[in-house]
Amino acid sequence: MKPDPIDELAAQSPPAPPPLARELEAELGSLAPVATRRPMRQLVMLVALSLAYGAGVLAVVTTRRDAGELSIGWVVGAGLGWLLGFVIPCHLALVPRAGSVMPRWRLAAIAAVVTAIAFVLLGLAIHPSGPSSEHYGAEHFVRGHTCLEIGLATALVPIVLGTMFLRGALPVGARWIAAALGAGGGSLGGLVLHLHCHVTDPLHTGLVHGGVVIVAALLAAAMVPRAADVR
Amino acid sequence: MARYCDGDASAFRELYAAVAPRLYGYLVKMARHRALADDLLQQTFLKVHRARAAYVRGADPVPWLYAIAHRTFIDEARKSQRAIVKVGDGDDLPEISADLGGQPPASRDEPADPERVRAALDALAQLPAAQREAVVLTKLDGKSVAEAAEIAGTTVGAMKVRAHRGYEALRKLLRGRAPSRQEAG
Repeated sequence: MKPDPIDELAAQSPPAPPPLARELEAELGSLAPVATRRPMRQLVMLVALSLAYGAGVLAVVTTRRDAGELSIGWVVGAGLGWLLGFVIPCHLALVPRAGSVMPRWRLAAIAAVVTAIAFVLLGLAIHPSGPSSEHYGAEHFVRGHTCLEIGLATALVPIVLGTMFLRGALPVGARWIAAALGAGGGSLGGLVLHLHCHVTDPLHTGLVHGGVVIVAALLAAAMVPRAADVR
Repeated sequence: MARYCDGDASAFRELYAAVAPRLYGYLVKMARHRALADDLLQQTFLKVHRARAAYVRGADPVPWLYAIAHRTFIDEARKSQRAIVKVGDGDDLPEISADLGGQPPASRDEPADPERVRAALDALAQLPAAQREAVVLTKLDGKSVAEAAEIAGTTVGAMKVRAHRGYEALRKLLRGRAPSRQEAG
């Protein structure tokens, strides 16, 4: 019986690799120890620093004037929702499964998409208001750009920190990991907006507050992979 | 890898001796050109060296190293559009094999028919890059579908489909070829 050429090819021993390049030999000559990545520690740092920064942003832009008029359950529940939307995608973007170097880009991708869609839909569907709340209506929708700017400014810190922490760790799936970081950062931005903005019409809470997650995820997906790449 | 990250250059050489032959074999089969594969292997290890701080202690570095080699190949293929090079220009086939320690073996029990191996490589080169990679990783390098998917940055389902289609296409191409002298004789 004729041997299978594919099996024969598979049975071939690997070829002898070339010697190390001079450039690499030179770098090995002055090899210094490096601190390796510690994903959980990085996650804790990212969450802590980003929350501190978010609190700073909130202190500058001030808390919403209708906070006392809204149901405490809604304020706390929505706040927790935004917080989870921040922590879960960041966790999936930074922490690989045990025994692996690369983060779980597939789960991170799912988290990014679910977070982005969920906050837009929730914002469109649930938007309680009080006497001090403001309603723009569709005709003043364009005024929402200030919220978008505040949200994106808040998202900047987790995205930048995540990019620094993931440098060199993303040979594949980088765009999805970046999108998850962006969605996480956008959710932190949404949390700040939730505590700051007293505009309660559905288009604003859905498309602007929720939209921050989408815009931050898209911007991160466009910019982070190149910044995290090692050449 | 951990000792290398701690500044031990000899640990890097051990890592290179252990992994470079496999990565080189993968790159030769992907690029089908030894000079290009040499260059890609050097680029891969240079990137590994510069990104070594991204290593997570206790983790298996091999899928990460393969993924860096995969990314390096894709970037180069996009840049120069020379991923598939015409076969038969003399230096495309690795003539000297090595064991996983990086040394050429003293002897092989049953030498394969070089013409059949060349025909298989030629057929492999005709596959689209994604299918070629799937076949190389799963059928030739012995990786599981999940490992291959992790390296190529795709889903397990997509990798399964690519490997199946690639393998079928490869068999079809090999069925259509003329028999080698050894087979004919």
